Amino acid sequence: MASTLTNVRLSTATPAAATSSFSRAPLAAVAFPRARGFAAVRASGPSTPPDISDKMSESIDKAKEACADDSASGECAAAWDEVEELSAAASHARDKLKDNSDPLENYCKENPETDECRTYDN
Amino acid sequence: MAISSLHATTSLHSPCTTNASFRQNQIIFFTTRSNRRGGTRHGGARTFQVSCSVDKPVVIGLAADSGCGKSTFMRRLTSVFGGAAEPPKGGNPDSNTLISDTTTVICLDDYHSLDRTGRKEKGVTALDPRANDFDLMYEQVKAIKEGKAIDKPIYNHVTGLLDPPELIQPPKIFVIEGLHPMFDERVRDLLDFSIYLDISDEVKFAWKIQRDMAERGHSLESIKASIEARKPDFDAFIDPQKQYADAVIEVLPTQLIPDDNEGKVLRVKLIMKEGVKNFNPVYLFDEGSSITWVPCGRKLTCSYPGIKFSYGPDTYFGHEVSVLEMDGQFDRLDELIYVESHLSNLSTKFYGEVTQQMLKHADFPGSNNGTGLFQTIIGLKIRDLYEQIVAERAGAPTEAAKV
Repeated sequence: MASTLTNVRLSTATPAAATSSFSRAPLAAVAFPRARGFAAVRASGPSTPPDISDKMSESIDKAKEACADDSASGECAAAWDEVEELSAAASHARDKLKDNSDPLENYCKENPETDECRTYDN
Repeated sequence: MAISSLHATTSLHSPCTTNASFRQNQIIFFTTRSNRRGGTRHGGARTFQVSCSVDKPVVIGLAADSGCGKSTFMRRLTSVFGGAAEPPKGGNPDSNTLISDTTTVICLDDYHSLDRTGRKEKGVTALDPRANDFDLMYEQVKAIKEGKAIDKPIYNHVTGLLDPPELIQPPKIFVIEGLHPMFDERVRDLLDFSIYLDISDEVKFAWKIQRDMAERGHSLESIKASIEARKPDFDAFIDPQKQYADAVIEVLPTQLIPDDNEGKVLRVKLIMKEGVKNFNPVYLFDEGSSITWVPCGRKLTCSYPGIKFSYGPDTYFGHEVSVLEMDGQFDRLDELIYVESHLSNLSTKFYGEVTQQMLKHADFPGSNNGTGLFQTIIGLKIRDLYEQIVAERAGAPTEAAKV
């Protein structure tokens, strides 16, 4: 587990920064995806959009609450299932940000015929 | 259910040249479908085919739990078919659908009958069949298979609500991915090919740590609690589907490192059912024999812990299968090429196509191990299956004329 955990520690800095009332943090990450000198940030990719991140941490608290009485109840399972759903949504949102991190690439997806989007084979 | 808003939706993506009468046919179809008389409108369906170059789609099912690599698999699959898959243009930004020139991938979460609040009130998970509308799933997959467009609901994973539906046109290859593609017998029977991603508990835990540990609020305890709380429903409703799959990709911890529990080095099995129409399993050296192969030696040097392959016949839930297993990971390009050149029946179009696909997506998870290798191989197999079905259909009228 050692190497996984090293990875984890590297990336915790990102969401922590993004959520402490810096609502513009993810935007900055999109606009400057290749900021130099942020090897750790680049390695872990963009951080989760704050709305999903808030919902998720809220759902974790609720799941812990729902399971306090009976950890075998349907309510407990449903609550943790919601955590899983939001965790997956958060991960997909991060992937999307990673894919859409280059403004030129984004522009060219929509406007492949323009001069700045021309590619040359020889 | 959101069916009442059927007529209000607009086209998100149309691979066909549409005209007024075509659109009208669609509306007629949907009006009748909601009355459960869709099957009787054959005239409408035929006009549709004439006005649209797309033939009846080949339907593929992919089953796996959440967070077990379905998205990565889909990206590899659509890449093999050519062209990148994108969300529908101009539609709901939270749509779960991916569309490329040949392929449309839909997420079966869109058939949730209970939204997040509804599931919470009733105390059921999304894994529970009671949270899903299999009647609608069947009707719509059947309609697509008949070459008809559908107005599919959208389950919004962020809000947990059902959004207004999106119009899905029949593609060449239609992939349904999610928790239950093989759960309902009627839906299962519509599948031309099915795949199940079977991730062992150890690996699932390791993957979810990688995915979630950076998230605020998550901890090792919360990740473990979530897996454990969902496990009874997973075992009851998701896991049993693997017996129906034509191919299963099983992901296990390595056996090359004694007592390894890091989940970093993986042992991956590709279980391929024998006797499936248009699907010829991949083999190593000699079809039907049992073989263990360590490619690392005099000709090929590998770094620790090396690579080990096995291949042979077996039975899986009473079915005859061929199993190809890879333990370990590729560290260098020549290892991958060496392995590819020793596998047969890969359904590649040129020498090195597997290696090329793996390199093209080296940034995807699993590109250096059996998950990426076997996902790529299954992608090639599905392309082959599709081409065989198309060739068969093209040949069928001549065959009939002879008789």
